[in-house]
This record gives sequence, structure tokens and C-alpha cells, in this order.
Amino acid sequence: MASFAGAFASSHGPLLVREWESIPQDEKTRLEKAFKELGRRVTAARPDVLVTVSPDHWANFFLDNYPAVCIGVGETNEGPPEPWMKSFPHREIPGHADFGFHFLNESLREGFEPSLSHHLKLDHGTCIPLWRMELPQMPALVPMLVNSIEPPMPSLARCLEWGKLLRKAIESFPGDLRVGILATGGLSHSIGEKTMGAIHEDFDRETIKLFSSSEKSLVDYLNRELPSRGNGSEEVRNWLVAHGAAGGRGFELVDYLPVPAVIVGCGFASWR
Amino acid sequence: MRDYWLSKMFFDLQQPAPAAEFKANRQAVFSKYPLDERVKKALLEDDAPFLAERTNAYLLRYYFFATGMKDAEFARRLREGPPRQIPRGNSDG
Repeated sequence: MASFAGAFASSHGPLLVREWESIPQDEKTRLEKAFKELGRRVTAARPDVLVTVSPDHWANFFLDNYPAVCIGVGETNEGPPEPWMKSFPHREIPGHADFGFHFLNESLREGFEPSLSHHLKLDHGTCIPLWRMELPQMPALVPMLVNSIEPPMPSLARCLEWGKLLRKAIESFPGDLRVGILATGGLSHSIGEKTMGAIHEDFDRETIKLFSSSEKSLVDYLNRELPSRGNGSEEVRNWLVAHGAAGGRGFELVDYLPVPAVIVGCGFASWR
Repeated sequence: MRDYWLSKMFFDLQQPAPAAEFKANRQAVFSKYPLDERVKKALLEDDAPFLAERTNAYLLRYYFFATGMKDAEFARRLREGPPRQIPRGNSDG
């Protein structure tokens, strides 16, 4: 049977690439250190497969059909389509169709109805953390795209349930695999709206604290606060998937720092 | 509210070929989509608040990035709108 190798989370944001050189040196040093430490932990967990939980920033889906959740079942995934991500070293990233289909089938069996894709483009949301973490070897990736950018979005409680389901799928997979989870996005940021650029450090720190509290406290707080904390903060859904998969035991904070130059409250975590 | 065709144009402009065409001739790209006249006017004036009410925030950011506008200026326009035209020959003296 497969085993759960660990759950991790990292913020992302286009300016972590586009404006990397303009980030103040002290913040850049901390970001580099946090990404590398997360990479070290992911590497130490020895995942054969990494389920990446991220939004789709209009790389695959449009208003014609925007799924709440999509599971990638392809043999391969495509590298990031954004022109400013052209230096990302992988144009094609192996998938793991067997585990992808197993996860999909377990989902349907449990009353969840994700969409599926045999070929996904992995945009900056997935690829910036993978790039900055400097993994010595890229594991096979099974993308799980969770809508956190175009309302209406899946409920926060559902995202936690998705995480629990993912854990069950890992532990019921009939193969000798180590499967890790990398959630990306958040914490607070505001994109393309009047508050663009705002970072809510108080919200971020309270959210981080509540990940060590009860699921109800965490979800209640997020349900109450998210509508006024910037649209990018909705990406915390991906952290909830990782949290659910890790058994809700809370995480070790690798680092948190608000970075105005990239307009993101940047968080890095590995679950206990 | 979502203006489908406005959003579709922004979505399409993520591709290199439409983006190159857009850089060469914005009006030609606008004419390929059934856009409302008010929307075209807002596009020509870079009226970010007007457009923000009609499309997804991330698509809007991509669009302004495609126009060459820096995020800081885009954010300012979202807050303040396009630069105001100063009326000439004010009859009130």
C-alpha cells in the first residue's frame, strides 16, 4: 500500500519571479531560506508522487467550464504557460496516471465529483514553489486544481473533507508509493481589486495560529474574515486540503513574512 | 457580473500570437469581439474600475500586464480610476 509522505504549503505570486530583483535584500534572503528549507523537508520526505494543490489561474479553464475541483490524471503535465516563467527548467513534468485515477475513483466512490484532465498546464501557482524550493529531483506530480479565483468557490469545510479523502486515497492505493502533498497559495493578498496590494498580517497570523486549533474554529474564522481580506486570501483553501490530509494536527511554520514588493503575505509550512 | 466577451479577450491575450497582435494594433483585436461601446471606451481609457466590475480580477491583471502597465500603476488606477480630463473653457468662469 502507498503511504503518506507529508504535507507542505508555500505561497506563490507572479512577482516572486517578475520582481525578484526588486525585493529588499533582507526579505529576499528570508524567502530564499524558507523556500530552500521547505525543499529540504519535501526531499527528506522522499515522495515518489507529489499532489500539488493549487488554483488554476486561467491557464486551463475559462468561463465556459470552470470546475470547482479538477484532478490531473495525465501521464505528463505541461510546464507553465506564462511568458515570464519561460526560465522554469521543466517544460514537461511527469504525472502519475495510476494514482491520479485512483484518487479520482475514490472521490467518486465517496460522493465527491471532481472533473478530470488528461493534460494540464501547471501555471506559476504550482511551479514557482517547485522552482524556488530547488528540489534535486522532481517527483511525479498529480495536480489537484481547486477553484479559489472565480466565485462561487468550494466551501472551506468541503476543502477540509477533500483533504481527508485524499489521505484515504493515498492509504488505499495498491502500490508501493510515497505520496506527499504540496499546497500553494495564500496567505493574504489582494489582486485586481480596489485593495490590490493590501496584506493583512493580523489575519495571516491568526490563521496560522488557528491551524493548530479545532477545525471548527479555523473554518468559522475564515468564513467570517475571508470576504474582507483580499481575494487572493481565498487560496487558503489549498492549505485546508493539506490540513485535512495531514489529520488536522497543525503545522510547523517554516516562516511567515509579509512582502509588500510581491504583494503577498508569504507563508511556508510543513504539517506535523 | 461577468462580461463574457471582454473576459474572453483577456483570456485569449495570454497567448503569444494575440498578445503580439494586441501590441501592434489594439483596435484590431477589440474588433474581433462583440464588445459593448462603453466597454471599448473603458479599454481605450484604461478605466480599471469600470472593467473590474465586468471581469475576473486575475484576468484584469493579466490584461493590464499585457498593456505594459506595472502593477503599482494598475493598483493606483483601480483605486482612483483613469486620470481625469480637465474640462477646457469652463463657462462658469
